[in-house]
Amino acid sequence: MNTNILEVRNLKKSFEEKEVHRGVNFSMHSGETIGLLGNSGTGKSVLLRSIIGLEQIDEGEIYFRNERIDTFSEQELYKVRTQISYAFQTGALFDSLSVFENIAYPLFEHTQLSESQIEDKVRETLSIVNMKDAFDFMPSDLSGGMQKRVGLARAIVLNPEIILYDEPTAGLDPVNVEMVIEVMNRFKNKGISGILVTHDIPVAKKICDRILILRDGKISFSGSIEEFDNSNDPFVQSFLTGQ
Amino acid sequence: MILAKLKADMKLLGEVVILTKDTFTASISRPFYWGRFLEQMIHLGAGSLSITIVIGVVTGLVMTLQFGYGLEKFGGTLYVPAIVSLSLMRELAPIFTSLLIAGRIGSGISAEIGAMNVTQQIDAIRALGTNPIRVLVVPRVLASVISLPLLATLSAFMGIIGGLSIAYIEFNMPAGFYINKVLSTIKFSDVFGSMFKCAFFGLVISILACYRGFQTTEGTKGVGATTQWVVVRASIVILISDFFLSKLLILLFN
Repeated sequence: MNTNILEVRNLKKSFEEKEVHRGVNFSMHSGETIGLLGNSGTGKSVLLRSIIGLEQIDEGEIYFRNERIDTFSEQELYKVRTQISYAFQTGALFDSLSVFENIAYPLFEHTQLSESQIEDKVRETLSIVNMKDAFDFMPSDLSGGMQKRVGLARAIVLNPEIILYDEPTAGLDPVNVEMVIEVMNRFKNKGISGILVTHDIPVAKKICDRILILRDGKISFSGSIEEFDNSNDPFVQSFLTGQ
Repeated sequence: MILAKLKADMKLLGEVVILTKDTFTASISRPFYWGRFLEQMIHLGAGSLSITIVIGVVTGLVMTLQFGYGLEKFGGTLYVPAIVSLSLMRELAPIFTSLLIAGRIGSGISAEIGAMNVTQQIDAIRALGTNPIRVLVVPRVLASVISLPLLATLSAFMGIIGGLSIAYIEFNMPAGFYINKVLSTIKFSDVFGSMFKCAFFGLVISILACYRGFQTTEGTKGVGATTQWVVVRASIVILISDFFLSKLLILLFN
């Protein structure tokens, strides 16, 4: 029996003349966190967006809990997106809504909770990301790191099975990076699977169970952190040494 | 070159038609965002009241002044109330109000949605399992389609009041005579026709603004280009379609 929670088979994606993905294959077990590395412009974020249907793929198959989802209509994908959530690089908070309204948004949309229950749930979620004092703040009142943490709170509020993290630590100072790592580890300990797109190898090593390297439109390396560290592959070596 | 431009225009037209169809489908099915709709009614409708009143009054004043002195030479001052009220109700108020709204609301909607698009907020709406058309487009389109006819009717009414004041002050025309002339000239079909045209113009403005907002790329530069595109295109469509709608209404009611 297949225990994969997510499986991507022979995914191909092009933007006009540019081939971004030329046959990406990987799978993910329940509870696993995968680090997706690769040079800039190799299509890491496009891969995340393709998984939840924000980008239409050209060829290939995507399975979530053994159900093929790449053929789903936009309407059918709405339900999938409550189970696979996306933490945007910038947070992508709704700037006309307060922090409470941002996090409550999916709860109002997809649950039957009362307003007071939603408020309790938002406060609980904010405390997980160490942001409980920001309840009434507007996104413009928050720093970049705080916006990312609120974005993470919004991503987990529906208790998803998978979170797709798009460079959650990019552009943050070391203190905020540690805070985001701590938050992601909390999600991991709750049994939530994740795919982390990052350029920050120490961060990937702290959170991920497995590393994938995307190169020339394909997965060129897949292995545990130990295998990643001990790999003789020149490209992996160049990643590790930063040269 | 011409063929490529024609192809691009046909693609644009097709996408706008699809967006209009999707908006219609979303507006007659659940969930309907009443809060967002009322917010837009206040923002688009109530927020345009003062400028609409000013446009109406000033148009009425100028029209009455010009027609009054123009027709006075031929002893035709008595026809001023009929001419001014009819032209205001049938053409000037709908067109001026719609062009004004295209500038004020069309640019506002497209800039807002465009900015949301370049900051990935539209993607966030989709990623959170909701439909951006239902959340963003339906409330704006319905608010425009409902508020624009009301604003144009108010504008025409204020124009008639403005005309009345000038007719009384400049041409010593009794207020009772002016009002009687207006009431005997304007028919239900004129009011209905004006509102029908404005509802269509409201649809054109809001759909084009939302469509272009969704297409916006290239950051703040793209947002600026988007607002310009919407105001120009919406104004052209309003002016051209006004002719055909006027012809249609004349065929229907005359």
